[in-house]
Amino acid sequence: MSDDSKGVWVYLQHDSAGLTVPSLELIAAGRSVADKLGQELVGVILGSGLDKMADAAVQRGADRVILVDSQDLETYLNLAYADAIYSLVKERKPYVLLITANEVGKDIAGRVAYRVPTGLATDNVQLAVEDYSNPVLGQFKDLLIQVRPDFGTRLARIYTPRHRPQMATVRPGSFTPLEPDPKRKGKVEKVPFKAPGYPAKVTEVVELPPPTPDLAGADVVISLGLGVLKDRSGSPKDPRDAYRLALDLKSAFETRGMKAEIGATRALIYAELKELEGIIGKNNQVGQTGATVKPKVYVAAGISGALQHRVGMQNSTKIVAINTDPGAPIFKIAHYPVVGDLYEELPKLAEAVRRGAIAG
Amino acid sequence: MLVIVLTKGVPARTTQAAQVGGVLNREAMELVLNPHDAKAVEAADYVKRRVGGKTVALSMGPDTKLVPLMKPLYASEVSGVDEEYVLSDRKMAGGDTLATSYAVALGVRKVVERHTKAIEELEEMIKKAGYSEAVKAKAKELYAANLLSNRVYSDLPSVRGTIVSRFLSGDATSSGAVQELEAEKARVSRFIVLAGTKTTDGETGSVGPQVAEGLSELLGVVVPHATYVEDFDVDPSASTVDSRRMIGYLSQKLEMRLPALLTVAAEYRPRSPPAAGMKEVRANSYRGKVYQPFKWTAEDIGADPKKIGLVNSPTIVGTGIDIGKPPVQKSVGSTQVFLKAVEKTEFEGKAYGPYSRGDVAADVPEGLVARLRADGSVGVFDVPMLAEELTA
Repeated sequence: MSDDSKGVWVYLQHDSAGLTVPSLELIAAGRSVADKLGQELVGVILGSGLDKMADAAVQRGADRVILVDSQDLETYLNLAYADAIYSLVKERKPYVLLITANEVGKDIAGRVAYRVPTGLATDNVQLAVEDYSNPVLGQFKDLLIQVRPDFGTRLARIYTPRHRPQMATVRPGSFTPLEPDPKRKGKVEKVPFKAPGYPAKVTEVVELPPPTPDLAGADVVISLGLGVLKDRSGSPKDPRDAYRLALDLKSAFETRGMKAEIGATRALIYAELKELEGIIGKNNQVGQTGATVKPKVYVAAGISGALQHRVGMQNSTKIVAINTDPGAPIFKIAHYPVVGDLYEELPKLAEAVRRGAIAG
Repeated sequence: MLVIVLTKGVPARTTQAAQVGGVLNREAMELVLNPHDAKAVEAADYVKRRVGGKTVALSMGPDTKLVPLMKPLYASEVSGVDEEYVLSDRKMAGGDTLATSYAVALGVRKVVERHTKAIEELEEMIKKAGYSEAVKAKAKELYAANLLSNRVYSDLPSVRGTIVSRFLSGDATSSGAVQELEAEKARVSRFIVLAGTKTTDGETGSVGPQVAEGLSELLGVVVPHATYVEDFDVDPSASTVDSRRMIGYLSQKLEMRLPALLTVAAEYRPRSPPAAGMKEVRANSYRGKVYQPFKWTAEDIGADPKKIGLVNSPTIVGTGIDIGKPPVQKSVGSTQVFLKAVEKTEFEGKAYGPYSRGDVAADVPEGLVARLRADGSVGVFDVPMLAEELTA
């Protein structure tokens, strides 16, 4: 195919506080792709009254910012947002378009991709640029390699060789925002948008407080899995005891000035244990269908390490895995394997963390 | 009202999924209905009880596998689905979300068209044959095929004054009847599509919005969508749907004109349909259930051969990546580590070090380790050291 498409685009979401953290991560993701391609990184921001957003996007790594600033975009309506992005894409033909894989991103991305039309690789956790060759389709230079969780046991590479832009959604928590550089300069451009009439209207928007716990913002995440149900000897345990031990470890880390939260695996949450009702729920879930986290310390207690869980925490700086089964897959990615019973190991660790505070 | 539920057969156990070149071989493994679709089925049942109509389940995949899987849907919830459609054709196999959404949108269009065409057939007959038994026979035939609502024709004794009966008794003129049938056609075109928020195999969540986009393209009208719907209601005249959904920290209420597509979240709980308005509900309803599932090929739904299946999918699934091992592992209770800093040391003519506290003593020869252990420079990695490294 003749490829006159150029530029790496990132669609940046914002709230009352400015660009969202996932948007800053998306700029970092786009920056690495743009640098490998030697292309411009363009931030696309939609809404009304956006002037202050542009500087933030540039300081965090964008070369150019397109502000689609319109009263018609003041309230989020998926049809209008998809229209605004689509018309820009159609007109300017970017090479790559990245969108955050959250509810808003997924609300828009599918419609835009269908209309272009192009492929859509969702929930990517890594991105790369490589040449690609296929016996049927031929050779492709500098293709975006989209890496997302696969059906079962691994990550899959997804290619979109024949269509532009190569569209991908990126899971929040998969990239680290770049430090702001106040000296960075970029071009800012304003584009008007007029919404046609839509057969849909937003009748109410209520902003709810962010979910507790704040897994993404924690220094330490202590997660529990189905291993809480039994001790080393196989005798049943009350999972609330494990929760108490996790809480104790959380407060131990907090004595060291580290913000800690409690996480859980999907398996534990979906087991809907009566004992954990109201204590551990969906907001605690780490993994493919829950939060993606990369804290300084991740403690996986009683977690075997299914791929769906690993993709949500594998980028943590230091992973501690506590499990009675030495063959548990979680040990393959743990920096600190602890073969043992979480009911014995969690208190030991909490004590040691606390003692360090006194010694230090 | 036509209530169309999208459903999918997914691997019963994702870890045992049989794959051929990155594509699931659905013919070779045990399938179950996508668990996320259960909420869409619940929601469809609610709409049918609320405004009347019929529920239709639509799926794509090998029919030999899907027909048995979908059978229990006839008896699901309060009233169960009324008809089932399977888009089954090797030519459509292996499609990515774009190719799949295109085919599914075509399937939805065809379901709707069966009903609008039936009304058109009846209109033609009225225009051609006037007040005659031929009109009644035609209406009876289409009603038996479950294609006309009770408003148009019915054999239920409780339903009186259908369009056809009023026409045949002379209470309605032929142009009046055709006008009413046109209004019925418009009503049929205000359908609703319900789907799960995602599937347990692909986990993309893209197909819902993409089917809405596909329908917009095929029908030439914007078909809006709402994802992650936790609560919704259809107005009694069945022309709009009010939905509430969570997008991030925002709870958004979205009012959409029908036709529209909703993906239904796990949090959804059906409301209790109001007892009033039963007459309208009955008028909107159809004869009953058709237990013989419809099987349609790519040709049946009018698919462009260049837009379906694996080869026409924009995305290609490449080789997998195993999640790598971290460079250095320190096992509590077994890994030998330096307990204190050790300067460059010579041992059997070779130089080692320098080492810092916490370094793994992996490349150090046994004899040297023994010496370092003896003087307390090397020891087993323990919990206090772990705590020290975690809080550093």
